[in-house]
Amino acid sequence: MGNLLEHIGIEKDRLHFSWISSAEATKFVKVAKEVTESVKALGPNNRLVKKLG
Amino acid sequence: MDSLTDKIRTLCTGLLKDGKVDMIVGFKKGTIPMSSCPCVARTPEQAKELIWDSNCTLNLANYLTNRKEKIGVVAKGCDSRNIVNHIIENKVTRENLYIIGVPCDGMVDKRKIRALFNDDITLFSEENNKLFVETASEKKELDKQDFLKNNCTTCIHRNPVIYDELAADPVEEQKIENRFADVIKIENMSSDDKWNYFNDLIKDCIRCYACRNACPLCYCPTCFVDESNPQWVGKGQDINDVRTFHLLRAYHCAGRCTDCGACEEACPMDIHVRAFTRKLVKDSCEIFDWEPGLDPNKRPALDTFNPDDPDGFIK
Amino acid sequence: MTEGKTKIVAFLCNWCSYGAADLAGVSRLQYPSDTRVIRIPCTGRMSPEFILSAFKEGADGVWVSG
Repeated sequence: MGNLLEHIGIEKDRLHFSWISSAEATKFVKVAKEVTESVKALGPNNRLVKKLG
Repeated sequence: MDSLTDKIRTLCTGLLKDGKVDMIVGFKKGTIPMSSCPCVARTPEQAKELIWDSNCTLNLANYLTNRKEKIGVVAKGCDSRNIVNHIIENKVTRENLYIIGVPCDGMVDKRKIRALFNDDITLFSEENNKLFVETASEKKELDKQDFLKNNCTTCIHRNPVIYDELAADPVEEQKIENRFADVIKIENMSSDDKWNYFNDLIKDCIRCYACRNACPLCYCPTCFVDESNPQWVGKGQDINDVRTFHLLRAYHCAGRCTDCGACEEACPMDIHVRAFTRKLVKDSCEIFDWEPGLDPNKRPALDTFNPDDPDGFIK
Repeated sequence: MTEGKTKIVAFLCNWCSYGAADLAGVSRLQYPSDTRVIRIPCTGRMSPEFILSAFKEGADGVWVSG
């Protein structure tokens, strides 16, 4: 999925995958921060968004 | 080519007469020049209408889905790969099929030929890799090689991979240096260019779903575009909905698409819909070393788990 | 994106990441609040439709975690 979205011009960092066990709260926090930062760095998403009205 | 037609007719008439099959799925002549039309022959008389030429572009595996009869099917390389797909996905059983394999040296692209003429084509014939095309005002002799469909030019499985009988001697497979040159070209674009390229590509789409209907892989009883609860895709012409449709259609074919080109052939707006699926064909080739429809005993790449599967994208 | 806030849709597996998120909460660990969590019964429930729908509805990012 990531590859095809990137292929049509969606920035790669908008879509993240991770694998966290239920005992890894610290990893969850770490990944959550990473994801947020990388998406923030890209700014708002205008592509793919369906404008209403 | 005429000898192929004769051979197919003889074979099919024989099969029907002996009661080996209930019906034959093949092609008959289309109603306008340079066209063909899928047809079902149930009697030896009907089998006399069958033909084979460079316009048999659609994928006949599409007509086998969920059939329970004994069916004889005329299959070129890509059709046979889709039949293998069907067998793997339990849409048809091998015992119920009698496959007449046709080694294929490529189908012609009607659009490329039509673009050469100002008026409608009135006559089309072919002989030894030469095409003879006539309109009311012009007459041209063309080289078939120059007018192959785009997917045929990068095809490396021209001979059927599975068959009970071959209608002709196998043809030599093409050796292609860089099969995915077109995909790589897009991969090297910037994000913005890619975005514009695909937006431009689908701007003419009228959402007729001909690409879906022509595709032998698309056999879901309810397609995601027709689902209303939840509604994945809006019904209108909103560019986002059109894009969602094309993306999801392509993604549903991931690891299954044989690049037969039926979707593009069926498109009334001449959209290069394979641009989406090509990327996935390339990916399944590179990531999983998987080409669909080659072996009925192998499970498809997205259907199996292997501890060695690449997982670099997972954090 | 409204008021400078990023919207990230997180699809979390009930048994793995959702548990981890829960544990992070119970342990009072601080993490960014830009994610909107959707619990799925298993990552196997995930499908490309979800991701595209999330983007269509205006998500800035999507995070799938098993």
